[in-house]
Amino acid sequence: MSDMNAATVTRYRDDFLKEVEANVEEGDWVKMCMQCGVCSGSCPLGPHWEHPPQELFMMIRANKREEVLSSASMWYCTSCYNCLVRCPREVPITHIMHGLAHYAERLGLAPKELPTRKFSKIFWKNLSSSGHANETSLALKLYFMNGFGEGIKKAIEMLPVGLGMLRAKRMNPFGLFAHKGCTDKKGLNAILDKAREIELAKAAKYQA
Amino acid sequence: MTDVVATNQTILVVGGGISGLTAALEAAECGKQVILVEKGPSVGGRVTQLYKYFPKLCFPTCGLEINLRRLKANRNLRVLTMAEVTAIDGEAGDYRVAVKLAPRHVNDNCTACGDCADAVEAEFDNEFDFGMGQRKGAYLPFNMAWPQRYVLDPRLIGTPDADKAKAACKADAIDLDMVEETVEMKVGAVIWATGWKPYDAGKIQPYGHGRFTNVVTNMEFERMLDPFGPTDGKIVRPSDGKAPTNIAFIQCAGSRDRNHLEHCSRICCMASLKQTTYVREQFADDVTSTIYYIDIRAIDRIDDFYRDVQADPNVKFIKSKVANITEDRDSHGLLLHGVDTEGYHRYSNPHDLVVLATGMEPSVPAGQVPGPVTGDEHGFVAADGAIFGAGCASEALDVNRAVQNATAAALRAIQVVNRVAATESRDV
Amino acid sequence: MSDDKKYGAYICTGCGLGERLDSTAQTNVASRDGKMGVVREHGFLCNAEGVQLIRDDLASGEVSHVVIAACSRRAKTEAFAFDDVAMARANLREGVIWSQPDGDEARETTQEMAEDYVRMACAEIKFMATPQGDPVSDTSRRILVVGGGVSGMTSALETARAGYDVTIVEKSATLGGHAATLQTRIPQQAPYREPEPSGVDELIAAIEAEARIEVRLNAALTSTDGAPGRFEVEIGTESGSTASERFGAIVMATGYTDYDMANLPELGAGKSPDVVDQAGFEALVKAADGGPIQCPTNGREAKHVVFVQCAGQRSDQEGHLPYCSGHCCLTSIRQAMHAQEAGASATVLFSDLRTPGAAGEDFYRAGQECGVTFCKGTVSEVLPGDDDLEVRYNDLILDEQTSLRADLVVLATGMVPNSGVDIDTIAAEENEEADGVAAGAEGTAQENTVTIPVESILNLKYRQGPDVPQLKHGFADSHFICFPYESRRTGIYPTGPVRRPMDMQQAQEDATGAALKAIQAVEGAALGRAAHPRSGDLSFPSFRKEGCTQCKRCTVECPFGAIDEDEQSYPLFNSSRCRRCGTCMGACPVRVISFENYSVETVGQQLKIVEIPDEFEEKPRVLILACENDAYPALDMAGMTGQHYSPYVRIIPVRCLGSVNLIWVTDALNNGYDGVLLMGCKKGDNYQCHFVKGSELAHERISKVDETLKTLSLEPERVLTHEVAITDIQRIPEIINDYMKTIEKIGLSPFKF
Repeated sequence: MSDMNAATVTRYRDDFLKEVEANVEEGDWVKMCMQCGVCSGSCPLGPHWEHPPQELFMMIRANKREEVLSSASMWYCTSCYNCLVRCPREVPITHIMHGLAHYAERLGLAPKELPTRKFSKIFWKNLSSSGHANETSLALKLYFMNGFGEGIKKAIEMLPVGLGMLRAKRMNPFGLFAHKGCTDKKGLNAILDKAREIELAKAAKYQA
Repeated sequence: MTDVVATNQTILVVGGGISGLTAALEAAECGKQVILVEKGPSVGGRVTQLYKYFPKLCFPTCGLEINLRRLKANRNLRVLTMAEVTAIDGEAGDYRVAVKLAPRHVNDNCTACGDCADAVEAEFDNEFDFGMGQRKGAYLPFNMAWPQRYVLDPRLIGTPDADKAKAACKADAIDLDMVEETVEMKVGAVIWATGWKPYDAGKIQPYGHGRFTNVVTNMEFERMLDPFGPTDGKIVRPSDGKAPTNIAFIQCAGSRDRNHLEHCSRICCMASLKQTTYVREQFADDVTSTIYYIDIRAIDRIDDFYRDVQADPNVKFIKSKVANITEDRDSHGLLLHGVDTEGYHRYSNPHDLVVLATGMEPSVPAGQVPGPVTGDEHGFVAADGAIFGAGCASEALDVNRAVQNATAAALRAIQVVNRVAATESRDV
Repeated sequence: MSDDKKYGAYICTGCGLGERLDSTAQTNVASRDGKMGVVREHGFLCNAEGVQLIRDDLASGEVSHVVIAACSRRAKTEAFAFDDVAMARANLREGVIWSQPDGDEARETTQEMAEDYVRMACAEIKFMATPQGDPVSDTSRRILVVGGGVSGMTSALETARAGYDVTIVEKSATLGGHAATLQTRIPQQAPYREPEPSGVDELIAAIEAEARIEVRLNAALTSTDGAPGRFEVEIGTESGSTASERFGAIVMATGYTDYDMANLPELGAGKSPDVVDQAGFEALVKAADGGPIQCPTNGREAKHVVFVQCAGQRSDQEGHLPYCSGHCCLTSIRQAMHAQEAGASATVLFSDLRTPGAAGEDFYRAGQECGVTFCKGTVSEVLPGDDDLEVRYNDLILDEQTSLRADLVVLATGMVPNSGVDIDTIAAEENEEADGVAAGAEGTAQENTVTIPVESILNLKYRQGPDVPQLKHGFADSHFICFPYESRRTGIYPTGPVRRPMDMQQAQEDATGAALKAIQAVEGAALGRAAHPRSGDLSFPSFRKEGCTQCKRCTVECPFGAIDEDEQSYPLFNSSRCRRCGTCMGACPVRVISFENYSVETVGQQLKIVEIPDEFEEKPRVLILACENDAYPALDMAGMTGQHYSPYVRIIPVRCLGSVNLIWVTDALNNGYDGVLLMGCKKGDNYQCHFVKGSELAHERISKVDETLKTLSLEPERVLTHEVAITDIQRIPEIINDYMKTIEKIGLSPFKF
């Protein structure tokens, strides 16, 4: 158990809902669910979820901390917003799913081998380092995220697509080396620091 | 010019549905002078479109017959139909009211013989059947319509059909020159009982009402059961007019939903439970019903009705708000997609008729009432404001509660006019 | 029949009547057979000119009793409205030309039908008088409210505000009832987000400030006699003194008793003081006075509170309540909010969360927002542990047997109505006894079930028992959906939770409505007008004492307990209690009961005047006695919608099948009718008869005719009773036509002359 995980377990003993409210983006909406299940039914990837959103909400209320945070389910969310649009309580389900995944990651409880998790990490690193996503580098990193051999295989498989994009001038191969990024990197870092600060402050509010 | 005699000891009731009728009759039977204003061509309102009431499964027209007899027998009560209140000014005990009277083009010579309807050719969507069927341009809204007088659709005026209707009438009852007029009156108290309308199911995009032929609303389903309705009393799939085999009822279609109506409409659970009994009555064991619900709200004494329906092996209950419906273009069969939240079971269930339990919204939202009312954010008119909200104008209610509520409203109005009477007799 | 009656018949030839029928022949029938002094035809009787024709005759004194041969009695009532004039209507339009096919083939039978209806109306009018009414002299306009809870206080206050004097009789030493124990109430005002002050203190203060209201505490009704407008009530006090007082109407707001949670040991009741019901929790909240809620066992802080919904409710299990009490979901939310506020965490375990309407759903959301956890689950057990309680339940969403630890468990038990004595049980026992005596030796000894004695609330001195009849599960509710105040004891209106389970807001609405009905009952009694459903009817039953055999059938069968008995068992009619259905008239074997405009004669003479063709003509005659509330309108609408039925029937509307006297049936058979059909409303548990038992009584009485039929060697099919509804517009013609086939099969009556 990570130190942070151990610390939160002690802090929110027996009250996972409170923990979620404090630490998960839009977590204070979880209690508003009335178990109608429209979110679960509306999710295009629903059949792949072991625990659909509304069930996760019930599990949170039932203090099933480990099961929720180590679940792969919320990692499947592709942000289509179908659930959010249809939710009769306007619960920001998409945000909560990402929030849960993020929180699990922070605590070190997220399942390690999830492709979406890997993607997220690569994407975030790619983006936050320069302020602009470097698509070419991102694609390459994705191909190779499961090892060198698989990366080559994937690259060959995608070759026709890549060539097509080159021809259509939709991909700049030099971007890999000369990615510009945003002009004010300092400013970007300040924004990201501020966001972290807000998150921590929110968590602190619930510690009382 | 229509002449309406009223004083500030007169009670005005707006809306001639079961709540308005009740409030008007109860006040009149206490000896008070009452004017009842109804926008449509006949009284009776929403309940006349229903096949049966829950939980007794009795017929709404039975009560209407009694109410009509009370109405015919009471000289204290004056009814204005095709009339709409456009302004209410003043305060309790002293209101001035403007009422707009739409031309019916049929005067009280009408004997309801029906010759005009036979004579005209034009047909229009029948609003009584939510447009599921057609009616003639000269028509009696329904069999028990009162006043028992035909109506000429305004769209007939200026067409040869209008002249045909006039020529056919032996009673000299058709007046093509009738025009809209506005009358003003003085009243002491106002009861606002304009009732409810079904939520527009077309707005619930994932359910496809209006796009998928075999998706109907609960009110449309009620109309199917009327032997004189659009399907001659038969439950059918609108796509092919054949009997369905597997019906779905979707609860909270537009209710308890921040995207639509935030409130619970109270009646829809009982209405769907009731409608499963229609299915059994018509098809015995041959057709199944499935109710998709969030909570079954069979409140108070009538919970036993729920248990009776649960005991029917042909009725299934699934705790789920259906996510969406897809249609097979050729067969017009429907697939309902969602998750049964009791234990997480995904489903894609085939049904060949879907009934949306659409809820009620106030016909005239509080903000649009042309007078001093207190309203809530859902558009319901408070029962104890300056103008007294009654029935479903004041809250989503079943018939029993609406009538109870309307009776209370009648007393509130009587308190006002009795106060006026006491003051006036003191002044004399 | 006195000589000052002058009869006029008016025959309309409009609406196709003139084309389809021979009006001259009808005129002849009216003057020759009907003996009408004045007979006039008019091409359009209901228009201003036609009506004026009648008015002129009435004004000149040439006519005092009017027969209108035109459309149904249900049509054109505004046109044919003559004050204080007896009127009979022959239904030639809906009942004849619209229900018969047009064409030469049908012309003769259609004409016969029309002429018979003219004859019948002429026969009826001779026995009709204008009802004079039987107003209560010296009507008391004071309203008695039984019960000083929120319902009673609201009724009293609303009545007083309408200008009527009120007396509240309250059993206990204080006003307020259950509500007085509440910290707050479910919100009644938008935006419905927070518990509101209960408002009881304000209500009590308003009562005390209202000069028109008098409050009697520690008091109960020891005797209630009389009728609307003149109830004589004895109010007893604890000290034993009684006072006799007169009231115009009674509102029964006797409320409810909390369901005894001792019946729920499986839910921990009685096993740990930390298992309480909602009332118990309310007391804990009160004791906490804004601080932490303490557990009754040891005063420790209740950190986890679990609410168990539907405890002992919505269940067919022995000792449980079969109904939902309506308010408990909202009450638990309100209480859970108090728990949260006091620093505890609250969980509500429910099977269906019932928070209806705009107010309900808003409050549910507010409960969720403040952190109450809602969980769909069924609780199987509550087990007291050493430090806390274990609530075992089936989590229906997560589909698992699981449990929760709780410091305090609140059982949302239901309401048990305080409706007094169940008079139907008493009546059933009496009947059993009576049947047992009659059956003599064959009567087997039946095990007597032990019933818990309940004290009467009203102590009515009515022939039919001391309290109002109960509808279901002990609630003294109306049976009718569209008429929630259609009580079976005129002038006595049960309201609030004694009527059906409800929350405070509904109780207050209901109590206001009941106040109106009480006022209406008083005003009606003062004018001699009937209460619902024959509102305004001035006719009332009278009886010829010299013919009466004191058989008590009228007093027993009156569905409204309107008839008492004197010491010699003669009936004592109470007009203002009477609902004018005529059940007494139908019950009377010696036919001494009648109304001014509705009697054994008004119907009997009609059926006798019908021309019965001899057997060689092969034109059967069938008499239909049709309930005027459902069957008759359905027949009218059958005509309107072009449904055709046999021309051989003659239809007479009756107030209720309960008013059908068997003499009509036997007279019809003796006169050569080939059959008699009775058409009334649905009977049984979901009965539709607004006079409660009319249809049932008719079935019962007719079943007794079967024997008589046999002795006359008549087939039992000669007399049949049908349950029909107002919507049976197509079915009734089918019933008629099928019946004609039956007659064809069994042949014409042998009793033709």
